[in-house]
Amino acid sequence: MSKFKKENKKGAPGVNTSSLPDIVFMLLFFFMVATTSKETDPSVKVVQPEGFRTTDMTPYKQRSEIDFIYLGKPLNSARAEKYKEKGMEYLLFMDNVAQSNPDDLYNVNAIKRWKLDKFESKPARMSEPIESVITCVKADKGAPSGIIFDIRKELQDIDALTIAYAVRDNGNI
Amino acid sequence: MARRDIPEINAGSMADIAFLLLIFFLVTTTMDKDQAYVRNIPKRVEVNTPPIDVEKRDILAIRANFNNELMVRDEKMSNPDDISERVVEFYTHNELTNDLSSNFPLYSRISLPEIQGNIDASLADAEATEATPGVTDDIIDFKYNILKEWEKKKRSLQLYGKKQLPEISPQAHIRIEVQKGTEYGLFSKIQSELEEAIYFLRDDAAKEIFGESYSKIKSRYSLDKKKDPKMDKEKLDLLKILYPDRFIEVTPTK
Repeated sequence: MSKFKKENKKGAPGVNTSSLPDIVFMLLFFFMVATTSKETDPSVKVVQPEGFRTTDMTPYKQRSEIDFIYLGKPLNSARAEKYKEKGMEYLLFMDNVAQSNPDDLYNVNAIKRWKLDKFESKPARMSEPIESVITCVKADKGAPSGIIFDIRKELQDIDALTIAYAVRDNGNI
Repeated sequence: MARRDIPEINAGSMADIAFLLLIFFLVTTTMDKDQAYVRNIPKRVEVNTPPIDVEKRDILAIRANFNNELMVRDEKMSNPDDISERVVEFYTHNELTNDLSSNFPLYSRISLPEIQGNIDASLADAEATEATPGVTDDIIDFKYNILKEWEKKKRSLQLYGKKQLPEISPQAHIRIEVQKGTEYGLFSKIQSELEEAIYFLRDDAAKEIFGESYSKIKSRYSLDKKKDPKMDKEKLDLLKILYPDRFIEVTPTK
């Protein structure tokens, strides 16, 4: 009888947690490597429509063979009012624009300069011709297609002949 | 001197620090990938050539107006999910036998000796053009490109393993005609449906001919473009010849 009592007194041994930081660090590094951080914060609100069988743009992003244009309603309400008077409900936003006039940012006419500036600022070793540098349009669900075709026209004029229509793919990736 | 034990550093809070960092990265990063439909814009032309007459059977027009109402081949459509079925029908209706009374594009079937004949003829033509004095390089390139196309077809037919290579009418195409006010959501839905239909057709063909799925071939090729150990380029070329994706996006006027 006394045999059993003795063993019960010992209690459960403590679990060695010294490797816990290692495990957590491993997770941390995984997330750091696997995720890409947002490069720009567009000043227009974009709710993307859904679609299937899309092409993944990540490899193009890694080779920086892609430029993004956003198309949506402006987040700034004062700006929204201002442009609404001109009959422009949906505005453009181009990433990394360096323009003297901030209003240029939202103008279709600025696309040519933006695209050419970006193309010329790329190092020479990225010798991808401008025809195959993708211009990805991230447009809001409700944006009118007319603007998309205006963008197309501008791109056609400077021979940037690859366009991509961004959607959200909830299906198999 | 008496040796003193170095006191151990308490590493118990290390996990907490790491967790804090981990949670910071979890919150600030976005996992969503950029997914899109890649399309080519036709090159701008300076000279205005009169448009070529295309038979009605070769056109699949998908129209959408500013009220976001859909029309496929002059027929109103309430559910945009049905577009892909129409596209599949457009490609497959005459695939096995040409039905002249139908309103769908016709197929031509070409055999290996015929392709070989075309290769010989285009090679002779290209060489003759090159030998002619005063011909610009553009024209010579153009002739050699024709030759390349025929050689590609020859390889495709050999890969296909059948007597004849079926080819949809070269003028068959799908037109997307939207109006300026059509919502982008509907426009992208049409693109999605087209992609779905093409995927369905090519996937079926890939499974039948090669015994593997189209997406598998495609992703393997994109991973290893240079070495291409399993001749995926030729497989994709064949699938493209069988079901070409000729989409035209018409610039809206109103």
